[in-house]
This record gives sequence, structure tokens and C-alpha cells, in this order.
Amino acid sequence: MADSAPADSRGVKENKIRTIEEIYLFSLPIKEYQIVDRFFGTALKDEVMKIMPVQKQTRAGQRTRFKAFVVIGDSNGHVGLGVKCSKEVATAIRGAIILAKLSVIPVRRGYWGSSLGEPHTVPGKVTGRCGSVICRLVPAPRGTGIVAAPTPKKLLQLAGITDCYTTSRGSTRTLGNFVKATFAAIGNTYGFLTPDLWKNTEFKQSPYQEFSDILAVCKIDMVYVLSSKYLIINSNFLRSNRRPPIRGGVKHLILIIHEGRWFKRSNNHCVSLK
Amino acid sequence: MSKVPSILNATEEDIQLLLSATCHIGAKNLNVQMLPYVHKRRPDGVHIINVGKTWEKLTFAARIICAIENPADVVVISARPYGQRAVLKYASYTGALPIAGRFTPGTFTNYITRSFKEPRLIIVTDPKSDQQAINEASYVNIPVIALADTDSPLKFVDVSIPTNNKAKHSIGLIYWMLAREVLRLRATIPREIPWSVMVDMFFYRDPEEAEKDAETAVTTTAAPEKGFSSFEPGNWDEGATDWGAEGPGAVSGINPALAATAKDVGGSSWDTPMEPAPPAPPAPVEETGGGGSWETPADDAGGWGDTTTTTTTAFNDGLETTTTFETTIRTTTGGSWADEPAENPSSGWD
Repeated sequence: MADSAPADSRGVKENKIRTIEEIYLFSLPIKEYQIVDRFFGTALKDEVMKIMPVQKQTRAGQRTRFKAFVVIGDSNGHVGLGVKCSKEVATAIRGAIILAKLSVIPVRRGYWGSSLGEPHTVPGKVTGRCGSVICRLVPAPRGTGIVAAPTPKKLLQLAGITDCYTTSRGSTRTLGNFVKATFAAIGNTYGFLTPDLWKNTEFKQSPYQEFSDILAVCKIDMVYVLSSKYLIINSNFLRSNRRPPIRGGVKHLILIIHEGRWFKRSNNHCVSLK
Repeated sequence: MSKVPSILNATEEDIQLLLSATCHIGAKNLNVQMLPYVHKRRPDGVHIINVGKTWEKLTFAARIICAIENPADVVVISARPYGQRAVLKYASYTGALPIAGRFTPGTFTNYITRSFKEPRLIIVTDPKSDQQAINEASYVNIPVIALADTDSPLKFVDVSIPTNNKAKHSIGLIYWMLAREVLRLRATIPREIPWSVMVDMFFYRDPEEAEKDAETAVTTTAAPEKGFSSFEPGNWDEGATDWGAEGPGAVSGINPALAATAKDVGGSSWDTPMEPAPPAPPAPVEETGGGGSWETPADDAGGWGDTTTTTTTAFNDGLETTTTFETTIRTTTGGSWADEPAENPSSGWD
């Protein structure tokens, strides 16, 4: 998986990126759900919110598919929401779980009153909207619990928010929009500038820059000896070569050397020398 | 403006080059965001770009490019033909990666694509035509440097180099200057000596122009040989073979081209009335002359000598196939509805 993958997951695989927070800090897009698995392991719990059959009319009747809404979270500051449509329920759920993992977002928690103990509620009033649905989250004192409809309640529980008042408006019966609106609201918790964030941040180098030398070298992970014309070179040779180094998207690298000069490379399993 | 060491200031020559390549000639339309770079609007509507600012943004862009440790992390893009050669040359001199021609959508966002790239920076020749690349860059945190004309949209563009991006000389020159500047900043090239690479290498060449150049090159090499062989009577055979060898080149270099065009012209005048030209010349003329008198109007493109019976059978076939299609669909939908477990709420469709 990793070698054909974007730099993000290569960084993770080689343990250069240690926490998911580092990914969030630079808004790096997460393209492979295994990255999220690696960081959370079993802590992530998923919950299927709804399986909704949707239909399309064909000249031969209706074609139904199933749309699955899955919410995933570790009840400690991270949530994800995935929506997937598929011809079978199981496939839809599986797909939705993957999408949910890819969309995992950090949740900022704060205090209602005195900052005693761990943060337990939303840091301020936040709102999110999707379609006609507006969902508003309001800080609540400790012990209130989540005062919400069953749908956003599930989402907030998985996010790790213990106490919260909510208000909603619009057609909340459309679960798809309702859940997306709450998700947007939760996402806005880190999008809000509060006074304690006024201090100047010291910028760090993004992982792409920090590890650019490592990312530049691609790994060779399969050895094929098909004929005497094929030789495998290790990555140091690649770097010393005058040609620009090969980046990303390479699964299996085979270099063809002829009289000591590199003149053909391939990304595929089976390479025929004409 | 920003405080930049005076060594990076534009020289007389640089400004002259920019002006002679018409880099200062903008477009008749003006995008509001490009307003600071425009010097004035001419009475005929064309906007004039402030070439001093062009130079400043150029050096700015060069400094950004140099800040990327791995030169292959820079991708240079041009969809339009005028910029393709420039982009390829730029890439070869600075070690960047070129994308000339079609930008496959998903190049930056879809890791399964063959052309998947993860640049740290992209340089774009025209924000309007290279829009797909700029759009994808916005998904993946990639900053964009663009050669922007007065009418270019600057959405998602981080650094714009104001210049004329319609003329091939202008595009070529800017890329040449960028390459030169980047190499100088990297200390690969000294600053005092003019760069050995000529600007012309970065200019777009028409394919016809390129062919003509190739032919004239052959002519000049062939000419002295011809002189030798023609004077020696004993070498008539050799002379003949020489002629044969250089047939395509030399004087006859012009002829094939002329001959080809003559043929085309002659051919087209014969052929165009009957586009799906059948091999036999006399027959088509007759048929078009007849104006479809003995052919049904429906048989336009089809068989020249075919009868009309084919059409009816074609229709029949069509009907048959549709019915079979319908029956197969029905069975599958029936099956799937029955299969799904009761977790579906009763929505009342069976």
C-alpha cells in the first residue's frame, strides 16, 4: 500500500509523522484510510446512523441502491462522517466506514465556566449548516449531558463532547443534511479564533519540506531477475544520477541497465525489453 | 516595494528584452486583481503592463522556486502550444518536471493515476487554460506561480508574474529569464556572464517552420556535393545516385511540398462532393450528378450500390434486442428486492 501512495502515508509508514495532529496542523489531505487506522487502532468506534434506500427509474422498473451514513469517533476529540451509496447494504456500510475514516476531524473542547478539570463542552457557540438544516451547539455546564435529538447526540458522543445544548432548524428529518450540519458545526470548533489563540504561532516546517530528502527517494521492494539485462539498483544510485529523482506513485521499480547506463525504467510487474 | 539586494535589479538589457518580446502588451480586458500591475490603458483599449513590476515578480518567483530543496518537486505546466516548448526547456535546465499538453485530471489528487505527482510548487503558463491544474492544486496545498495577463483570473494563484501570455516570444522569454534567474540564485551560473543558452530555444516553433528548418539544413549540406559530382562525366552514375539520395532535400525540397498541395487541391475538388469516397472514380461522379434519383433518401451515407431492403431489417433487429434487454432487467430487480433483509423500514414499495 504505502509505496504507491501519497507522501502523507509514506511519512506515516516510516514513523516520521507521529500523531495525527501533525497532519491536521498542515491541512494535509488524508487519502488512505489505513493512515487513520494506524493512529487510532481500536479506539475508533463506528456507528451506522441510517441505511436509506434510494431509487433511480429505468425503463425496466426502479434501480435501488442503499445509502449508508456512518459516524466514526474515538469519544476523545476526533470524529468522522462517511456517506456511501452502493447496490448492497454491506458494501455501502464498508465504503462509508472508509470514507468516515478519511474525513476524521479534530474537535476542540472547552469549558462552560471555570476551567477546572478536563474540557467537557464546546468552547463557544458554533453553528454548521447543510441544505436547509442549521445545527447550533451551545456550551453547557458540567453534568448537563448532551441535550440534542438522537442524531446529533450520537455524533457528539463519539466526538467526546460530554455536555452540550443544541438548537436546530430546517428540515432535520433529512438525516443526511442534519448529520452533515452537526459535523460542520463540530468542525467549526477549531475554526474559531478565541483570545487564548491570539499569541503568535511559531511556524514549523511542513512534513513535505522536512522530509523532502526521504520522500524523494523511492523504495525498491521487489527483485526481479528476468534475464541478464535486468539489474536492480538501490536508491542511492538513483539519487546520484543526474536525472531528477523518481517521486511518488511507484509500486515496483525495475531499472534496466545496459552497459552501466540507466536507460529505461518501469512501474509494472512484467517488463519486456521489446 | 520589498527590500531586495540591488544585484537583483533589472538591467538595461533585461528591460530591453522584455519590451522587444512585447511582454508589456496586455489584453484589452482587465481583471481587477491585475490592476496594480497595469501602467496605462492605450486609446485602442490595450492595457500596458508595468515591466518593472514584471521583473520584480519574476525575481520573487525565482527566489521561491529556489527555496524548494528538491528541484523535481516543481512542476511546470502548459496546456497551450505556445508555452509547451518553453516549459520543456525550462524543466530540462532547472530539473523541474514538465506537463506539456493535456493535464490529466487527477494528476495531483488521485494517487492511482499513472501521472500522479506531488509537487511542492507549480508554475503555470496561463491561469485560464491551465485551470484544471490550478484547481487541483487547491485541493492538495500546492502554491501556484502563474504567468498572468491583464485578463487572467487570479483565483488560487499565489504569485502572479504580470506579462503577456498570448505571444510566443513573450512566454518563451519569461521562462528563459526564470530559468536563468533560478540557476543564478542556485549559483549554477555566474551572474556577470550572459547565459550561454539562447532565448530562441524557448520559443514555440510551428511544425511547418520546424520542417522548413530541417529541410534548409539538408540543402546547405547537400549543395557542395552536387557541385562536385555534376562536373565529372565519368561519374554520371554516381551523380545520379547522389541526386536520388538527396531527392527529398536539395532543390526538390520545395517540390514535394508543392506537389502534395497540388495533389490535395486537385484531389479535393474531385472528392469533396462525395465525402465517403469510393475507390472507383467514374461511378461517384455519376451518382452525385444523379442527385439520388435511384437511391432512397434514407441511404445517405450507406451503401452506394446497396438496395433499400437493408434498412427495414435493421429496424427489426433493433426491436428484438430491446425486448430481450427488458426481460433480463426485470428478473434482477425482482430478485434484489426480495433479498434485502427486513432492516429496511416499510417504505411501501413492492
